[in-house]
Amino acid sequence: MTKLSSLNNKKVVLELKNITKTYITGTNTFSALDNVSLKIYEGEFMSITGPSGSGKSTLMHIIGLLDNPTSGEVILNGRNIAKLKEHQLAQIRNVTLGFVFQQFNLLAKTTSLDNVMLPLLYSDIPKKNRPNIALELLQKVNLADKISNTPAQLSAGQQQRVAIARALVNNPKIILADEPTGNLDSKSGIEIMKLFHHLNEKEGRTIVFVTHDMDLAKQANRTIIIKDGKILEK
Amino acid sequence: MLKPSFNDLLKSSFKSILKNKSRTILTSLGIIIGVTSVILLTSIGNGLKSYIADQFDALGANSIFISPGKIFNDDGGFAQGGMATTLMTSFTQKDYLLLKRKLKNTVVMPVNATYSDIKSSFAIKKNIEIDGSTQDYGESNNVVPSEGNGRWFTNEENSKKTPVVVLGYKIAQTLFPKSSAVGKKIIIKGKTLTVVGVVDQKGASMGGPSVDDAVYAPFSIVADLAGKEDINTFVVRAPNKDAIDSTKKEISKIMLEKYDKDAFSVFDSSQLLNSINSIIGVLTIALTGIAAISLVVGGVGIMNIMLVSVTERTREIGLRKAIGAYPRAILIQFLIEAIILSCFGGLVGVILGGLGTLAINSFFPAKITISSVIMAFGVSSLVGIVFGVAPARKASKLSPIEALRYE
Repeated sequence: MTKLSSLNNKKVVLELKNITKTYITGTNTFSALDNVSLKIYEGEFMSITGPSGSGKSTLMHIIGLLDNPTSGEVILNGRNIAKLKEHQLAQIRNVTLGFVFQQFNLLAKTTSLDNVMLPLLYSDIPKKNRPNIALELLQKVNLADKISNTPAQLSAGQQQRVAIARALVNNPKIILADEPTGNLDSKSGIEIMKLFHHLNEKEGRTIVFVTHDMDLAKQANRTIIIKDGKILEK
Repeated sequence: MLKPSFNDLLKSSFKSILKNKSRTILTSLGIIIGVTSVILLTSIGNGLKSYIADQFDALGANSIFISPGKIFNDDGGFAQGGMATTLMTSFTQKDYLLLKRKLKNTVVMPVNATYSDIKSSFAIKKNIEIDGSTQDYGESNNVVPSEGNGRWFTNEENSKKTPVVVLGYKIAQTLFPKSSAVGKKIIIKGKTLTVVGVVDQKGASMGGPSVDDAVYAPFSIVADLAGKEDINTFVVRAPNKDAIDSTKKEISKIMLEKYDKDAFSVFDSSQLLNSINSIIGVLTIALTGIAAISLVVGGVGIMNIMLVSVTERTREIGLRKAIGAYPRAILIQFLIEAIILSCFGGLVGVILGGLGTLAINSFFPAKITISSVIMAFGVSSLVGIVFGVAPARKASKLSPIEALRYE
């Protein structure tokens, strides 16, 4: 709790107010999230953990504006996103958020450079600047020599680094990672976590990551434990 | 605010198509076959039309034909049963004299024919049609031999029954392979005839009678060979184009004095040409329509593959949406891919159709037209748009989290 108090003067970048997400399957209703409220502060390194089926992925999807809550409000940078249209949400995801997935989700048969540039396709960045931006980021993740390689020619750890470079390409303030080390060996996992720490401490980016691994979750400044759709501990 | 720009989308669609070369070719195959066959069939139809027009030009523009029997029905099409509608199959010498006496400013040529084997000292040709007529026929039908290839026969030779003959180019080559046929003798039905001329080569034929295979002799000689004086057809040359209609009316009037109106036909080449052209036109449209079905089938093929492709690339679509692609960008991307596939198919089809037209041109008249190319290509692109919409809509409506979860 001491950690939270130190964050109190900081700016809230994203706030969830009484979020409920209910799935209806036939006659059964199932609440993946039950009246969850949460504030994410600027520059914090936060982890979300819990057993499988606890609702942590659903929470992440709502934070990432990929899914709409059944009820409750999502406020991003002081703006309620409930009334935004699909294409406006897409634009926010493009510019404000960076996503890192467990499965990397790189385009097959596509070079690292093209994969990193992919989000720029949907942005306002002039075309001639795009390769340089992507190249710089690949250098940052230590893959300058792999720009022409396709995912099939890269190790899992390298693929995840390409994915992180892609998440950074629009210079987003918030990075959202869903089990980013889940498909990696422990050594690569450590490297990826180092990279997140760097992005948080040296570049001041807000990092939110989901993991089921308690030890990994403790690396964050703040850990949220979720169970049965409810936050147990902040 | 179209982001990404159309250019970017085009590029990214091209990339994705190039990554799946065999799929691209197989998908386009339906369109390729459709466009190729549409172009080939219209080329053949058009070629046939202009070939026949050329043949009719060779018949002489101001020629009027009088045939026994009813050839045309009242609508200008061919009468059912053609010449078989009447028992009358020929005209008489009396008809000839009557026409010659009553028609002013015209040339009346009687035409008769017989079939026989032709022998030379080198070769024998079986069952050849020998056409008989008068001196005017050569000029009228554009078959007078050119300088150095002998001459056409004269009226004097006709009236004196001089045994002379004019050969078509090919038949002269066959009978006298080593040197010019002019001046040589041939034997028809035991009668010896002197070749006085060889008609210039007229070119390919579609299996029908060609000038290159023709044998011409004076009317009186053919009558002797046939053993009868009957006249198969009259060719009447009007003084000019404007006189064709009035001459036709006059001929009908003269003939009606003697014959029933269904017993003979009076027509000019344009009338015949129109009838044939309308038949070829209907045939071409029907065949092209059948070929166009394969375009639609090709379109369905593209739709299937695009639907499979949407499923196959569900995760990619989910990812694109997560990182900022709005629904319309996905829609347009998939639509462009479908259009590129069908345009690619259209392009290959146009090329194959063109090459095919060239290939068959050596033995069959075929003529590619810009309008058929534009039509086939336009329809194939349209097919791409129409059949691309459903898969593209499906892709754009995928929910990003559902799509990312897809295994």
